Amino acid sequence: MSDTQAPPPAPDTVTVTIDGVAVTVPKGTNVLEAAKKVGVDISAFCYHPGLSIAACCRQCLVSIEKNPKLQPSCQSIATEGMVVHTKDAQSTLARKQMLEFTLVNHPIDCPICDKAGECTLQKLYFEHDAADSRVDTPKVHKPKVKDLGPNIVLDAERCILCTRCIRVCDEVAGEHQLEMINRGDHEELTTAPGQQLDNPYSLNTVDVCPVGALTSKDFRFTMRAWELDATPSVCNGCATGCNIEVHHKNGRAWRLVPRLNPAVNGHWMCDEGRFTYHELREARLAGPVVGGLPSSWDKALKAAADKLTAALKDPGAVAVVLSAQASNEDNFALAKLAAAWKAQVFATGRPAVPGRADDKLRDADVNPNWAGVKAIAAAAQDLAALETGVNTGKVRVVVVLGHDLPVSATAHGRLREIDAVIVLATHDRGPAKDATIALPIAAWAETPGSVTNRDGRLQRMHAAIAAPGQAVAGWEAVVRLAQATGVKLAWTQARDVWKDMTAAVAPWKDQPWGREVRPMQLRFAGSRG
Amino acid sequence: MADLKTLVVGRKDAVDLDVEQELPHELMTVNMGPSHPAMHGTVRIVLTVDGERIVKGDVQPGYLHRCFEKESEYATYTQVFPYTDRLNYVSPMINNVGWAMTIEKLLGITKQLPRRAEYVRVIVSEVSRITDHLTCVGASAMELGAFTPFLYFLKCREWLYTLLEEVSGARLTHSYVRVGGVSKDLPVGWTDKLLARLDEITAVMVEVEAMLNQNKIFRDRMAGIGALDREACIKWGQTGPIARAAGLDYDVRKDYPYSVYPELEFDVPVGTTGDCLDRYLVRIEEIKQSMRILRQAVAQLPDGPVMIDDPRVALPPKTDAYNTIESMIRHFKHIVDGIRVPAGETYAFVEGGNGELGFYVVADGTGRPYKAYVRSPSFVHLSTASTIIKDHLIADVVPIFGMINMIGGECDK
Repeated sequence: MSDTQAPPPAPDTVTVTIDGVAVTVPKGTNVLEAAKKVGVDISAFCYHPGLSIAACCRQCLVSIEKNPKLQPSCQSIATEGMVVHTKDAQSTLARKQMLEFTLVNHPIDCPICDKAGECTLQKLYFEHDAADSRVDTPKVHKPKVKDLGPNIVLDAERCILCTRCIRVCDEVAGEHQLEMINRGDHEELTTAPGQQLDNPYSLNTVDVCPVGALTSKDFRFTMRAWELDATPSVCNGCATGCNIEVHHKNGRAWRLVPRLNPAVNGHWMCDEGRFTYHELREARLAGPVVGGLPSSWDKALKAAADKLTAALKDPGAVAVVLSAQASNEDNFALAKLAAAWKAQVFATGRPAVPGRADDKLRDADVNPNWAGVKAIAAAAQDLAALETGVNTGKVRVVVVLGHDLPVSATAHGRLREIDAVIVLATHDRGPAKDATIALPIAAWAETPGSVTNRDGRLQRMHAAIAAPGQAVAGWEAVVRLAQATGVKLAWTQARDVWKDMTAAVAPWKDQPWGREVRPMQLRFAGSRG
Repeated sequence: MADLKTLVVGRKDAVDLDVEQELPHELMTVNMGPSHPAMHGTVRIVLTVDGERIVKGDVQPGYLHRCFEKESEYATYTQVFPYTDRLNYVSPMINNVGWAMTIEKLLGITKQLPRRAEYVRVIVSEVSRITDHLTCVGASAMELGAFTPFLYFLKCREWLYTLLEEVSGARLTHSYVRVGGVSKDLPVGWTDKLLARLDEITAVMVEVEAMLNQNKIFRDRMAGIGALDREACIKWGQTGPIARAAGLDYDVRKDYPYSVYPELEFDVPVGTTGDCLDRYLVRIEEIKQSMRILRQAVAQLPDGPVMIDDPRVALPPKTDAYNTIESMIRHFKHIVDGIRVPAGETYAFVEGGNGELGFYVVADGTGRPYKAYVRSPSFVHLSTASTIIKDHLIADVVPIFGMINMIGGECDK
């Protein structure tokens, strides 16, 4: 090493040697993170990169030269010239013994435990110990089904007392709702006095739980973790656009979990966002509807074309409503069609919910894509202008994307009297209910696309599951409408729409579409702990 | 009527057919297989014939392709065993052992297996080799018209299948061997039954050999047919009985000894001419040698466990899995994630029923192979078939194919 003329390290970095490999890391990095850089995965339960350090599980002990005793690598800050050994006899034995110790009172629950297959305890035991227990005393029993709050159940026997969940409540949600009581092998997790686990970020405790102690009432006993497929996506619950993974199986989403993105959501997401997958199965529009009766694409498009061709002769008689609930591609396609029709363009979305906003991840704007709609159609008018047009009888055909059309009762009544309301809807509700023609389109988890979050960040979503029935991607429905009215739009895949869109919208210039991500089977992902 | 007496129906060989000019003839293309009673497994040969003489034989396997290699990438190392059963399905135990040995080599535990496990593996392998050769010889004789030897041999094979069923629970698809040993010990009294059966089979062999070895029809149709010389065998990568019939003294058990074969005494029979008759004689002798190995192995069979005592490799006993969390997790991880095999790649091979059976496995540190490849002897042997059958008569395809002993499951992988 001495004969290489390496430049002196920058003053804000330190170089440490881990298992004989030198690695340079920023000052203040702990040994555990430094080891990750050289591919040494130090086992740990209580350490979580998004939380403060507790160093209470003692699973990450390593030998550091010139230190008489083993040190917790999560708490040891890497210093210049530090030499760390993780595979020597001493730390290997410590890991084995800690695992044996941790398992002393662990119940034999794997076959009925929701965490099985993605359990850190299973993973670490199999990788680092795999030996039989030497203890034959009866296990300490604790409450098996302890209701901690509206969303979470605790199995106290499975808990290995890592306190990650307590720190999630304290540091992510900012509410002290969980505590440990008692000591030794009677130590137990419980709610803080007068509290229950009901903060808006409570389900993150389930994600960080290294074992199956905390389980989500929404997910527990529905699916085995290792049978699920994971597809990366973006939460469509609000304007924050938390990065998520859709966990799905057999064409059905079973849960949403946060995906690490330090620039947007870190490791976390809110509970409300997690439950948005339920909407994917509720009251979906699976086939075209004409005049309230089930129809086919051909008939529906023919009916739409008849109404539109008549109205298009009169400039301004067709109104197009973009949706902040839909993806950039769908909005761009419809805006493009509106331009070809010379139609008036409006934009809408769900009304804001000021009460849910906080300074963390939750935004008052519950639309995933307002920023995108504004970027695509800056000149789009709001619905007040549409109401006027409808009330005066000028607007005769309205083409609506999505199922949000918050207009006054008068305008609502008038909408029934105009020539046609054509709705491109994911769900059979709102304007789709009494539309002249409703065309089924795919929801966010069913088609590749993108949304733009409150910071203007363009984020890609991937298709996780199939759209119901005859539903097609929104932009594809727009292409069909265009063809029916003699407008030439020739996109055949979302990627083509993206190409035209990024060329047309200045802030998104040269943004790459990226690779299509196929679902990853969680069984191949190993433990996610 | 008088004219008929002057007609001489002489014996014509292929050369005669070539020079015969009186009758105008043209080449004809006929299909043999894919479903033909004399085709082993499902394989198609498109024969271009000039009368009875084969001008060109286009051998087209692939009708039994099961994606063994690709499937293996999606199965844990243990879950691949049932797939190996279906390679050479008349000697599944040897395939099992070959796969297990490859993974053990990757894990570095080849030398740590319990001795009883090694002996049990050798015993079941040799029983499987006998069933393989019994099937091959019996079926080939039957295709040449000798139905009795076929029935006799199949009777013997059934005795052995019954014994293997007692060991593994399945008559044909045993999935008996595991990484680190075998799944369960031999049943009590099994070895005695085996020895008794071996004696009975020896008696049957005498009868069958008496029926075939000096049988004029059998010899006429086997001798000098489909010969491959020693050099051709090397060039074509032939192994097993085909190579040995040509005088190539190659047997993995002797040349690259594995398991406890070095502790057992046996001879490797070789032929001289490399034709179908020698291939038949080599197989008959190998059955006798396998019985010799079996008698020794049974006599030397040590007591002890049949599974390695390494928690990373061996499944915990069921009682432990139900009653301790440690074994429960191990059981769970073994089943769901598979045995963790360190990253690396290796090739391990055994003497299969048909020749060198090898597995090349690339491991990436997970519980499933990153890539698995099988060197299946039938596939290599079949590559020579078009060349061998050229210039033979259509009827010769039957003994040639019988003695190549193409096993569809193994050839098509």
